Formats: sequence, structure tokens, C-alpha cells
Amino acid sequence: MSRKYELVYIVSPDATEDQVTDLHTQVDGIVQRMGGQIEKTDNWGRRRLAYEIGRHKEGTYVLEVINGSGELMKEIDRRLKVFDLVIRHLVVRVDDDQEVIERTRSRRSEASRRRRIARGLPPDRLPGEGQRGEPDDDRDDRFDMGEDLR
Amino acid sequence: MNGRKSFGGGSSSGGGGRGGRGGQTAQQGKDAQQRRPMFRRRKVCKFCADKIDDINYKDTRLLMPFVPERAKILPRRISGTCAMHQRKLRTAIMRARQLALIPYTAE
Repeated sequence: MSRKYELVYIVSPDATEDQVTDLHTQVDGIVQRMGGQIEKTDNWGRRRLAYEIGRHKEGTYVLEVINGSGELMKEIDRRLKVFDLVIRHLVVRVDDDQEVIERTRSRRSEASRRRRIARGLPPDRLPGEGQRGEPDDDRDDRFDMGEDLR
Repeated sequence: MNGRKSFGGGSSSGGGGRGGRGGQTAQQGKDAQQRRPMFRRRKVCKFCADKIDDINYKDTRLLMPFVPERAKILPRRISGTCAMHQRKLRTAIMRARQLALIPYTAE
């Protein structure tokens, strides 16, 4: 039974580039051995931590999207706990959530197409059609907590 | 639809529903008759309004507005988020906290 998981781990800022890649190969090794596969790897680079972990204020974040069994993730979890270089890690199962998101998205677009056809319009919205959206509210910085946390 | 009812005449703005204000108008039922009618911004779930399906723990940009200064999760009563999205928001924030993307508390 293959499922999709996301693994994020934070490597200590003292670690060298080589040690980070080495860690990745180790994870890869476990995944390979237990019949999984790594779908995607993403190194976010060095980021400020929102709070101190141990005595560290920074860390290198690495994200791995893994297809595999629960057993595999258990093993990875166990192994990562042992590594001193990894100061924090998190495993999240994502396939269910992604499916739900996909479904709501398609259902929404379908409903909108149906409504448009009922109104005698082409099913897809043409560029420049419809109401102008309100000015973007994302710029609202009332609750922003400074650049460094991003 | 999702928001709470608004007092008095229709509140003008329909936009983003994360208003961090509006609490002070609540306990003034009687006085309100004498005074000017209270305008309260109608609160709308931001995720419903903007059609954000994916509340992801990695997306700090999205989560930050819901953890104001003290880094506590902004309650639904203030942000106007609907129950379903508040639940998803909560899990996302808690995951982000584990990864030190968002603080548990501010100093």
C-alpha cells in the first residue's frame, strides 16, 4: 500500500553542504531499501527559526515528498530521531488531503461551467470578462511579524 | 452567508474578512438606539471568499495573519473564518509551529 508523505527536516546550521547531501542520500537509501521512492526533494536553504531549538537560531530546511508505506515512514522517523545533525523533523501524510483539494477544485470549476452554460455563455471565462476584482488585500500588513520570519 | 449578521444599515465593505476589530461594538445593545447606528464590518471567511482550498503548513505567508503578536491563533469570533477552515487552519498552524516556521509564543 503506497501512500504519499511529506517529510521536512531541519538540519543544524553547523552542518556543511556535504553533510546535508549525505543526509539526503541516507534518507534515499532507506526509502530505496524499503521499496519506496522519492518524488521530489526541495532544499529551502538556511532559514531563521521562529524560536530556538536547542541553542540553534537557524537551520537548513529540506523537504522530501516520498511515496511509500507507513512502515517505511516509521523507520525514517526512527532513524531521524537518532541523527544529532537533524534538530527537528516532521512527517505528514498528504495524499488524502490532496485528493480532497483536487475534488473541491474540480467540483467548483464544474459548477461554474454549468452555471455559465445555463446562462448561455461560453463555459470558460474569457480574459477581461466579468467584474474587476477588488484590490488585493494581501498587502495588508497589520498582522505581519517582520521579514525575518518568512 | 458565512459571516455574522451585521448591525444597522448594510456595512459597506465586502472585502477581506480577517478584520481584527469590531469587538467593541458588541456590548452596547441599548445605547445603540440613542447613538448613531453601529456599523460593523461584515466578517467573511477569507478562505471561502478567496477560494483557497489548500491551507498548507508550509505557506507562512498565508498563516501569519492568523497568529497576531502574541502568536496565539486568532479566534474565529474575530477573524470570521468558517468552522471548516478554522479547523484546517489550526492543524496547519500547529504543524508550522513544530517546524519553527511560526512561533509558539512571542517573547
